Amino acid sequence: MPKAYKQVPFAAIVKSPTVNNQGMVTGNWRYLRPVVDKGLCTECKMCWISCPDATVNYSKDDGISFNLEFCKGCGVCSNVCPVGAINRVPELDFED
Amino acid sequence: MAVAEMIKSIAQAPEKEYYLPGHRTCAGCGPALAYRLIAKASGKNTIFIGPTGCMYVANTSYACGPWAVPWTHAQITNGGAVASGIEVAFKQLIKKGKIKDEFPNIIVMAGDGGAIDIGLQAASSMMYRGHDVLFLMYDNESYANTGIQVSPMTPYGATTMFTPSGPEIPEAKKFFPKDPMAIFCSGGHPEVKYGATASISYPVDLMNKVRKGLAVEGPAFLHVQCPCPKGWTYPADRTVELGKLAVETGMWFLYEIEDGVKKWNYMPKKLKPVEEYLQTQGRFSHLQPEHVAKMQAWVNQRTQLLGMEVPLPPAQ
Amino acid sequence: MPIKKRGTGLTAVADAWQLADIDVTASYPIRPYTAVMAEVAKRIANGQMKCEMVHGEGEHAQFSIAHGASMAGARATTGSSGVGVTYAFETYSPIAGGRCPIQALIGDRTLDPPGDFGSEHTDCLTLRDNGWIYGWAENAQEALDNSLLCFRIGEDPEIMLPQIVAMDGYFVTHISQDYVMPDQAQVDKFLPPFKPEFRLDVNKPVIMGPQIEPEMGPPLEWDRNVVMERVKELIPKATAEFNKIFGAKYAPFVDEYMTDDADMVFLLQGAHAVTCRSAIKYLREAGYKVGMCRLRWIRPFPDAALQQILPKFKVVGVIDTNTSYGAAGGGGVLLVETRASVSEVANKPIIQGFTSGLGGETITHEEFFKMADMMKQTLDAGKIIQSSTWVNFNDYDKAAIEVKAAWEQAAPSTK
Ligand SMILES: Cc1ncc(C[n+]2csc(CCOP(=O)(O)OP(=O)(O)O)c2C)c(N)n1
Ligand code: SF4
Ligand code: SF4
Ligand code: SF4
Repeated sequence: MPKAYKQVPFAAIVKSPTVNNQGMVTGNWRYLRPVVDKGLCTECKMCWISCPDATVNYSKDDGISFNLEFCKGCGVCSNVCPVGAINRVPELDFED
Repeated sequence: MAVAEMIKSIAQAPEKEYYLPGHRTCAGCGPALAYRLIAKASGKNTIFIGPTGCMYVANTSYACGPWAVPWTHAQITNGGAVASGIEVAFKQLIKKGKIKDEFPNIIVMAGDGGAIDIGLQAASSMMYRGHDVLFLMYDNESYANTGIQVSPMTPYGATTMFTPSGPEIPEAKKFFPKDPMAIFCSGGHPEVKYGATASISYPVDLMNKVRKGLAVEGPAFLHVQCPCPKGWTYPADRTVELGKLAVETGMWFLYEIEDGVKKWNYMPKKLKPVEEYLQTQGRFSHLQPEHVAKMQAWVNQRTQLLGMEVPLPPAQ
Repeated sequence: MPIKKRGTGLTAVADAWQLADIDVTASYPIRPYTAVMAEVAKRIANGQMKCEMVHGEGEHAQFSIAHGASMAGARATTGSSGVGVTYAFETYSPIAGGRCPIQALIGDRTLDPPGDFGSEHTDCLTLRDNGWIYGWAENAQEALDNSLLCFRIGEDPEIMLPQIVAMDGYFVTHISQDYVMPDQAQVDKFLPPFKPEFRLDVNKPVIMGPQIEPEMGPPLEWDRNVVMERVKELIPKATAEFNKIFGAKYAPFVDEYMTDDADMVFLLQGAHAVTCRSAIKYLREAGYKVGMCRLRWIRPFPDAALQQILPKFKVVGVIDTNTSYGAAGGGGVLLVETRASVSEVANKPIIQGFTSGLGGETITHEEFFKMADMMKQTLDAGKIIQSSTWVNFNDYDKAAIEVKAAWEQAAPSTK
């Protein structure tokens, strides 16, 4: 059987991504999912600024949400929240 | 560049990300958070140089990477030298009219090994020669990428793969760390007009220091403490919390030196006992009271040496 | 107009760098290559060259600086000698693998210990497996010409490899000689500006040199191998074009001298070819049908050219001015590579090795005569007598045998 090598571009120079790096999807690392309680959240954005993976999203309309395709479930966002608005819920509790 | 545009609060921090989701850094990685904040602060017109270390290997493992701006690898030994070459090339190509680019922000993102140990010669020479580069040392206090081995920045008393604790060497690591700010920003490198310490737990302060470092003409140095859950052995969610605790116990300081003048950016009202910090991390779990006392004495001495006037815990 | 000049191999390369309008160079002092940097520094100071010179803190930094400059799109150079060449070792593979076509001038020098200023090829040959294009120049003119040729070949979009213009320390770097500095218009016709497809550009961001998976390594290395083979194809084309534009007469791979009717040839590289040619004149008068083959390139190694050329001869004496302790056959690098090149060729000649000219010694006429005498014995015997001979140490020429016999007679107990 021929060996399956992976082709790499010239000198391994690759285009920079623009939105996220699809070459390394990390959402499957997570076993505790961050869930925000919008009733408690004051929109201070502490969680947003503290996420090492840039997977806390914030918008004026929707407030805080998470990019679950990449969130590793580290819990930093939950730990830094001054009002305890982010719970860490086991992944097995979710259907998706 | 002239005057840096300062960020006043988290609410004012730039929305746009240049260090994107999709990298193999450990969950809760302090250096990854630093990268994100630095890239945010420096923006689109930036080129990163990444000497070998976690922030190379874990970010690029599969022939891809998470940066929306140009990034290049350098050897762990030569970040400062490669950056020097890039800087002079841009200056010369712009001067000769060979390219139309605006002169970019050039940032070396070196680990403690790549900055102050095997990479020290290249870093020092880059700063001595006055290249317009921000040399950023993300300090996770070990050679992390190779599996956590001792570096000159590993604290006294910490275990690493090369400094286990045992009956003959109960305290594990015996030496106290180097002081990079003293090496680079206390007159030894006269071209360095701006240097600062920072922490991932003080994100606005960190981002502003990046901007200040980029705004000065010539080299700037930033020493950023970045807790590393794997190397320091603590649960990943405590990364930001531990960065704060380090400052509150005097295991880290936040100051800057601009044109030779030192300024404190944050000073706790009084220092908490260092034991509170040591307790949080597995790498210190073997320490005996005499070692903790030795550490406290060192913290107190350093606090005084650096000129931070706050009430200190007793050193026994 | 081309200008007739008197100078050294180093000033000649400074001329080439000036004509090539290099953007960045990186210096560090070590003899003998240093003078090129002194020359470039002078030309920058007086406005003759528009180039940034960075004073590296060592050779490792020099090559790293040039590497960075190349990634930013600059034509960048550096250089070194002796232990400086080996100090920079870590950087050679990343530069070649990153496909950055920087150029280094290496004025070769004996490696320590102990310190020795003399020429020897070992320093520069140690990096032959890293994917750089290089060969030794015989004189100042060839040094200048090789520099231009190397830029042209190395920066070709189909190649993109770094190059070394190597030359014998002192013999080429420091002996004053005549050469011609070509005209700018000729150079502009031969050498297009350096415009890499990828560079560090915030408007077209790329990631250079990410970590890869093991299954990605072999294809990348295969590519580096393929491109070296492509260099072999480009050398004759580029050399022909060079000859046409500059009125030169370079053979692409192997410079032959008096080989038409030769039974035996010396095979060597670099400046010792000068003495070799004059020794051959004497040897011809004494009845030796001997010639010379001088290699213009060591990487890529001119194996195909040697397969064509060497079967014309009966004995080839490969002269190694380098050491490769424990190498196959007991000689140096050229012996191993030459034997490997023709190993499968029918009618291949007998190939024997000579180690000579180490430590900066000249190879004298007498030494060439000795080697010719030993090759003649091989020719007469029709088989190899000694795989490799260190000239003046384990010779088997007639004079040496006579001395040994006389000595043995005088002291029979030590037989
Ligand atoms: C010349 C050389 N020696 C050793 C290594 C192995 N190495 C790879 S990553 C690394 C650790 C880097 O440590 P540091 O700079 O502190 O960054 P970190 O991994 O902690 O982020 C080492 C030693 C190397 N790549 N190159
Ligand atoms: S840290 Fe807590 S309160 Fe602040 S924005 Fe996030 S979830 Fe809301
Ligand atoms: S759990 Fe970690 S990775 Fe996920 S959003 Fe929170 S901080 Fe980011
Ligand atoms: S070992 Fe430490 S520095 Fe390296 S990726 Fe993991 S957390 Fe980050």
